[in-house]
Amino acid sequence: MISDNSKLIAHYMKKRLLEKGADDVIIEIGEQENNQIKFSNNKISTTKTWVELGAGIFATFKKKIITTNLNEISKESADRAVKNIILLEKAIKPNENFYGIAQGPFKYKKIKDLYDQKIKNLGEKSIEIVESGINEALKEGAVRNGGLLETTTNYNYLLTSGNVEATDQSSNIHFSIRSFTDKDASGHGVASSNTIKNFDYKEAARHAANIAVMAKNPKRISAGAYDLIFEPLPLANMLEVITSSASVFSVEAGLSPLAGKIGKQIGNKIVTIYDEGNLQNGLASSKFDDEGVPTRKTTVVDKGILKTYLHNTSTARRYRVKTTANAGLISPNPSNIVLKPGNYKKEELFKSVKKGLYITNLWYTRFQNYVTGDFSTIPRDGIFLIENGKITNSVKEIRISDNILNIIKNMALIGKVPKQISSWEIDTHVKTPYAVVKNIKITKPE
Amino acid sequence: MDDLKDIAEFALKQAQRFGTDYIEVRVEKSEGEGFVTKNNVLESSSFGKSKGFGMRFTVNGALGFFSTNNFSKEAIKELLKKSINTAKHSARLKENMSMSKESFAEHHDHVHQKKNFFDIAPEKKIELLNDIEQSAKEIEKKKIKLSTYFSLSMDETEKLFINSEGAKIHSVIPKVNFFYFLTLKHGSSINQRFWQYGKSSGWEGIESFKLNELMKEETNGLYQNMKHGIKPPKGEVDVVAAPQVVGIMVHESGGHPYEADRIFGREAAQAGESFITSDMIGYKIGNECVNIADDPTIENSFGYYSYDDEGVKARRKLLVKDGKMNEFLHNRETASQMNLKSNGSSRASAYDREAIVRMSNTFIVPGEYKEEELIEGIKTGVYMKNFMEWNIDDKRLNQKYVGSECYLIKNGKIENPVKMPKIEIDTTTLYHKIDAVANNTEYHAGTCGKAEPMQAIPVWFGGPSIRLRGIRVI
Repeated sequence: MISDNSKLIAHYMKKRLLEKGADDVIIEIGEQENNQIKFSNNKISTTKTWVELGAGIFATFKKKIITTNLNEISKESADRAVKNIILLEKAIKPNENFYGIAQGPFKYKKIKDLYDQKIKNLGEKSIEIVESGINEALKEGAVRNGGLLETTTNYNYLLTSGNVEATDQSSNIHFSIRSFTDKDASGHGVASSNTIKNFDYKEAARHAANIAVMAKNPKRISAGAYDLIFEPLPLANMLEVITSSASVFSVEAGLSPLAGKIGKQIGNKIVTIYDEGNLQNGLASSKFDDEGVPTRKTTVVDKGILKTYLHNTSTARRYRVKTTANAGLISPNPSNIVLKPGNYKKEELFKSVKKGLYITNLWYTRFQNYVTGDFSTIPRDGIFLIENGKITNSVKEIRISDNILNIIKNMALIGKVPKQISSWEIDTHVKTPYAVVKNIKITKPE
Repeated sequence: MDDLKDIAEFALKQAQRFGTDYIEVRVEKSEGEGFVTKNNVLESSSFGKSKGFGMRFTVNGALGFFSTNNFSKEAIKELLKKSINTAKHSARLKENMSMSKESFAEHHDHVHQKKNFFDIAPEKKIELLNDIEQSAKEIEKKKIKLSTYFSLSMDETEKLFINSEGAKIHSVIPKVNFFYFLTLKHGSSINQRFWQYGKSSGWEGIESFKLNELMKEETNGLYQNMKHGIKPPKGEVDVVAAPQVVGIMVHESGGHPYEADRIFGREAAQAGESFITSDMIGYKIGNECVNIADDPTIENSFGYYSYDDEGVKARRKLLVKDGKMNEFLHNRETASQMNLKSNGSSRASAYDREAIVRMSNTFIVPGEYKEEELIEGIKTGVYMKNFMEWNIDDKRLNQKYVGSECYLIKNGKIENPVKMPKIEIDTTTLYHKIDAVANNTEYHAGTCGKAEPMQAIPVWFGGPSIRLRGIRVI
């Protein structure tokens, strides 16, 4: 918990900065504890704990923006930071594109399943979870397993010159397991939740092992166009790339294929994508964004049409729209990305594909041009050839080389059961079901 | 240094009381500042300090790590007790972990800033970004719309490492870093480019990048490619890859697969494994002209260090010698698994991360040819100066490079720009197709990602131009 003394220092610092002429001040104090158990080859490689307390400071003076941090929350370090902010303020230029921060006060609603004390108190039980996860995968036929169990607890305190003073707390437990049955045959499963009751790590372990068993004896296939069945883990990767590029900062920086596309059809009519900062048990959920605006559900893509970019108060004022509660003070960021589920059972998705590939994981997504969206990414772990609705072979050494927007333009069927995904490759949390994407270009090395 | 020493010694003594077998403590103090512009608007100016320590220990043969930025002695004792308790409970499932025997010393290393970047006024730094913007904007005279994103940052880290076997390594290392992202638009054509320059140095490092000239060269290269670029020749042609392209190739497929922790599966879950197995020393991976080195001791390099984060003296490693696998990158744990001494390849991105096997500055060792001589011998080919998209699979075999500024080679001469030539090739084929290595070595800065949680670490990668004979270009 953030101590009263830390809060007093935040108030003191805010007052000092306003006295020195600051127009806007935001101080966020965060305390975080992480515990991680890393395992490989069915054994625990190491146990880790890290604890951090610090504060982030944002101050503006006539549109001049300065950010800094306090590594130690004390009056002395606050005084030093104020002094240095004033020195730097005199040297820098204004950002004419800056239009201020949110004005409160705001009312915040409780978000269900955001914090679970049982995660903080997990202690040595975490070892039992790892052991049980590994054993579950071994029972399903995995030969060796690597991965991690990580728990996080966060306490946040936000104080702004816009009449915001608020606290929040969240917890998270994440299990990631990669099972191997051979050097060339692996599968990956993840389970993440803010509460213990929704945390099904055994299912993740069984899934990883089942994929690894199926992935044995992979063969090479011809390059060409295939229909792809994405399971939630790789689809989350693609949806994160697309929705993150809706940040107005990315659009303006040339890092987005969505520039000039508000109101235009960028995906199939079945595709609706939300940014949902107040999602129940959402891994990135919080009561407020970085400037204190209450989080909400925003429809980013509605039946394939791009409805909005992601904004904070300043960018929203510049674009004459309302903030989407996605501050990021310099760059707005997505919170929980949610693909609206469809009506199809998993079996129906597979039955719909005549010649295709079942993709279970991806990594290394890179762009040749962020504005056009031309990119490639590498399927890893089990990849399976589908012929006439059935898996006929395991596949290796392919690459998806296409345009990122084709992933949602060519999305033909969406499953009905969503899964919340957090992984090493995915910075923003995504909730998505399986989906079928037609006619995507596959290439391979010579 | 005294404040770091006090806390390091306190933490080490406390850990000894809890029955640990081996202990190491890294205390770090960093200070830095940064400026970001987007389309010549100063988006943010930032400065900051951090101070904290990380401790790695073994207890009952199990490895544990903890870190904090809270230097209160009571808090440290409590955290230590909790961490050691968790590690003890993990011991029944522990891997058979041991560490190579090393001899340790006391050492002090200070990379001096010739021009201290903290003495350079912020106005000067912002003025530099503005000058660079104006240099890049010269291309707009050619009816091009340009957008820019620049990030200029610098920091200095003081670090003290001690362990229970007598090591005491103190270092002060400054780093400077400049990143740019350019978008040129002409009608419906769009060309983009990003790159990074970095050194372990003071402000003189920023000056050495010659950023104004660089921006003019980059924007003009992109413009020429957009205006005059033709499709690349199809099928099997010869390719001359210039140092930036060689750098990324060697980092991805000549460096990562030689990390012994990947080879032994410790990073299997996320960063991946390697196509290499521990019995492959001597295996022929490429032509005899291919030699690959990783050398953290290059002065002022972005990946510089003189002692690694296990207190082992750093040295140059020859990963590939005359086309054969010669040595892997080791920390004490992987070295012990192969009955070797560590070759000083253990790095952590900061005090709050465990040190693991990492690259430093990885490059193809130069040959004797001039770059022109590589081009002279080609009837039809592509000269690939730099690249945009790239990726590689997690065993480090299947890789792709998409050229950015590239040119057609016809009868030994460089001709028209070529648009987006793509190479998709496996590692063994790549290194066997190299038939000549030039002597025009360049090192380039990158930020390498590995580990859980992610550890982004500064590296150089590079080498001279190389010639690849008869490879498929799309």
